[in-house]
Amino acid sequence: MKSDRVLKWFLYGYLALVLIFIFAPIIFSVIFSFNSDRFPTIPLGSFTLKWYETIWQDPDVWEAARTSLIVSFSVATIATLLGFATAYTDYRYRFKLKPLYLALILLPPTIPLIIMALAMLAWFAKIGLAGKVASIIIAHSVLTAPFAMAIIRLRLSQMDATLEAAAWNLGADQWRALRRVIVPFCRPAIVSSFCLTAAVSFDEFAIAWFISGLNKTIPVIILEIVTGNIDPQVNAIGSFVFLTSITLVVIAQVVLMTRDKKEKVNHG
Amino acid sequence: MSVSNHPTKTPSSGHTPIRRRHRSDLFQQALRLPIVIWQGLFFIAPLCFLVAMSFFIVRNYRMTEAFEMKNWFKMLSRDYFWDSYGLTIGLATLATLVVTTVAFPAAYTLAFRVSEATRRWAIFLLIIPFFTSYLVRIFSWYVILAESGVINAMLDYIELGPYVMLNTKFGTIIGYMTLTLPLVIILQTFSLANIDRRLVEAAHNLGCRPWRTIIRVVLPLAKTGFIIAAVFCFILSFGDFVSPYYLGGSKPPTLPILIVDTVKSGQQWPRAAVVAVVMMVTLFIVAFGGIAAAYRRRTA
Amino acid sequence: MADALVEFDSVVKRFGDFTAVETMNFTIHEGEFIAIMGPSGCGKTTTLRMLAGLEEPSEGEIRMQGRVMNHLPPHERDTPMVWQSLALFPFLNARENVEFGLEMRGVDAAARTKKALEWLDRLEIGEFAERDINSLSGGQKQRVALARSLVTEPKILLLDEPLSALDANLVIRMQSMLTRLQRELGITFVYVTHSQSEAFAMADRVVIMSRGHIAQIGMPRDIYRAPENRFVAEFVGRNNIISGTVKSTSGKMVTIAGSLGQFKVALGGVHQPVVGDAASFVIAADLVHLSTTKPKAGNMIECSLISEEFIGSVVTLFLEAPDGSEFKVQIQERELSDMDLKHMGRVFVSWASDRAHFIGAC
Repeated sequence: MKSDRVLKWFLYGYLALVLIFIFAPIIFSVIFSFNSDRFPTIPLGSFTLKWYETIWQDPDVWEAARTSLIVSFSVATIATLLGFATAYTDYRYRFKLKPLYLALILLPPTIPLIIMALAMLAWFAKIGLAGKVASIIIAHSVLTAPFAMAIIRLRLSQMDATLEAAAWNLGADQWRALRRVIVPFCRPAIVSSFCLTAAVSFDEFAIAWFISGLNKTIPVIILEIVTGNIDPQVNAIGSFVFLTSITLVVIAQVVLMTRDKKEKVNHG
Repeated sequence: MSVSNHPTKTPSSGHTPIRRRHRSDLFQQALRLPIVIWQGLFFIAPLCFLVAMSFFIVRNYRMTEAFEMKNWFKMLSRDYFWDSYGLTIGLATLATLVVTTVAFPAAYTLAFRVSEATRRWAIFLLIIPFFTSYLVRIFSWYVILAESGVINAMLDYIELGPYVMLNTKFGTIIGYMTLTLPLVIILQTFSLANIDRRLVEAAHNLGCRPWRTIIRVVLPLAKTGFIIAAVFCFILSFGDFVSPYYLGGSKPPTLPILIVDTVKSGQQWPRAAVVAVVMMVTLFIVAFGGIAAAYRRRTA
Repeated sequence: MADALVEFDSVVKRFGDFTAVETMNFTIHEGEFIAIMGPSGCGKTTTLRMLAGLEEPSEGEIRMQGRVMNHLPPHERDTPMVWQSLALFPFLNARENVEFGLEMRGVDAAARTKKALEWLDRLEIGEFAERDINSLSGGQKQRVALARSLVTEPKILLLDEPLSALDANLVIRMQSMLTRLQRELGITFVYVTHSQSEAFAMADRVVIMSRGHIAQIGMPRDIYRAPENRFVAEFVGRNNIISGTVKSTSGKMVTIAGSLGQFKVALGGVHQPVVGDAASFVIAADLVHLSTTKPKAGNMIECSLISEEFIGSVVTLFLEAPDGSEFKVQIQERELSDMDLKHMGRVFVSWASDRAHFIGAC
């Protein structure tokens, strides 16, 4: 039917527009980072690498990058460990108050960042953690653990229920079965969780600003530049951060998808 | 250790009694407890402290622990607080309506009109923004929406504008959309894709025309997912600091901005805490109401 | 008689309000192939799981070689199991799967590999040793699962409906392989299944379970020819059960009178029926003689033919007795074609008294 075809192309066009809206700021950010104008607009200025050069040479930025990497690595480790333990507990055990237990790990994303930031800064000040890198690490891990838990729990639900019992049956105690069967099976999900939580931590802004105090991470530098004056360096930094995150995400996705494909093809 | 963790009963016949083994308890606790301790110390405790803090007093720029209602009275009696509250709720509601509506045709297309492979690619694309810096994206919008920015420059070519888009509610809404649109599209798409297609076929079979089927059959079936998506959208927009600050001009302030301002001027953490608690209670009510509405069954 | 390997002593298993296994008493002997069979929900899998240590008995004791096992966790027992889903570790190849049990016992790498390969060869899948589990066929995976359980040379092997996921022709092959393996190794096999043909084809003894208790234990042939109660009679084989009251007894014969007439049943010596008691007997469908003319004397019923079930060389006929109940007859197909029976035609079924089997009131 003709009207159906018209509708189809309208919908495709609409979808394209929506995607353009979503990606415009990202794409423009990358474009602007190579643009010579301080205040980019159309027509674009000349191509330049000077913003990249500036941040490349700024020791503050390097310090912030180093801190960000350390922080995101630590966060990924903690979040993945907590996420795994909680996912396994949810998978294996039934107990009273389980909904409350799950709420503990799943609620953080529903609290506005500004409130979490305020609460955490005050609390960390009270318990003596203010201004330390540890406080950022703790804060990020609280916020990213839910994602790690969800990813690993999903993987566990795909596991043959008797696999763990088979390991016990063959002589492995619970710890050994966990190490030699559950963890290897969950490996794709664990790697994914690690990469994704590292990526999210790397990007996070609000919490880091409030809590970091003297320690500057990349988002803080960005914020300083932005509140000060509009500086295209931000775009360069933003692109760099984006690239790192995307690399991590792609790794995670590829690992997950190859495992999936392999198992699907051969189980017929 | 049994797989199901059923507690076994002590036999009445006097045969071998069943004892709980120490080893399996240790294993279970070792895996179950860490999250409880960690979240207890670093998630629950800060929030509890926040509530407590709203009763503290600030004297001479120093905060002292106390239990006084002074902050509450002061804050809740101020016009600018309630103006901000109304503004924040209004903007968040508007954003939710706009985003839900804007997302729907896209979600519909992805759920019903494209191949499985295309859908997966689209979802992958929609996940990418989560791993870019939200702040950098907002800054990008700042430049794009500026009076001499990209959009106005393009409109200039066709002799339109320039339009003021920054420091307006329009700017704030654009920002909220940037924050929430990908998530809402993803949730709506999954909702729609998971409805039972046979029910749609049945509706057509009974003579229901396509548009009507969408309204009378598809949406009610996808209701739960759509409401959850809207609740998320509201929560995220309501609590967002970045968009109203950078794109909305921060005056008049929304509640998150109010929190930051209150802290920056005079170290009034307790007053900021009051705002935060009011925000949390509001969101709690919205979330509960939303979930109740999402899962409500029609009673016969 | 072989030694007792496993004893179930008054074992009960409850899950909350539901009793899965009721006061179970039986013994598994060394070196026997014993099948536990019954419909879904009868408790056979629960029994197996208690043996493996995956469930703890609510009451009673399970002893292996005299030692009480109730509190022994699964990994400390030596009761390897072949799972219904096979439960092969997908992230290990075939050889590594087989080595797993040995690794848990601390056997060093070289010795493990040697043993694993021996077993894979023995089960004729040596060439697949380094293959990814996902790339193997159903039958090959079965053998890996078997090798994995047997490599530690246990005294007892548990099998939980291992053939239920296989194609019919594979099942036959695997059955003969399992029987052969069990005889060669001389170890005890405990085999849980819902399939009568599997149990009867492979096992030395069969345990028939119903709703948590044991209905009968015995050798396949004994169960088939001498079911002890209504449940077994209905569950196994094609049997007709006729009920009535004991009219008289004399020596090794008892006369039972019911709505279908009077019948003489030979007694096996186990029962001592009392005149006036309610009683039933079983007459197997294939032990019945069919004719269109009325026999001169003996046990007989006049029936009409309702339908036929054609299985191949054997046909099952479903007849209706005068009281409306169903009567089954199994005869050879060639016999039937010689008889030229018509639908709703009149036929007589008859049998010798020693072909019937007495069961008590039921």
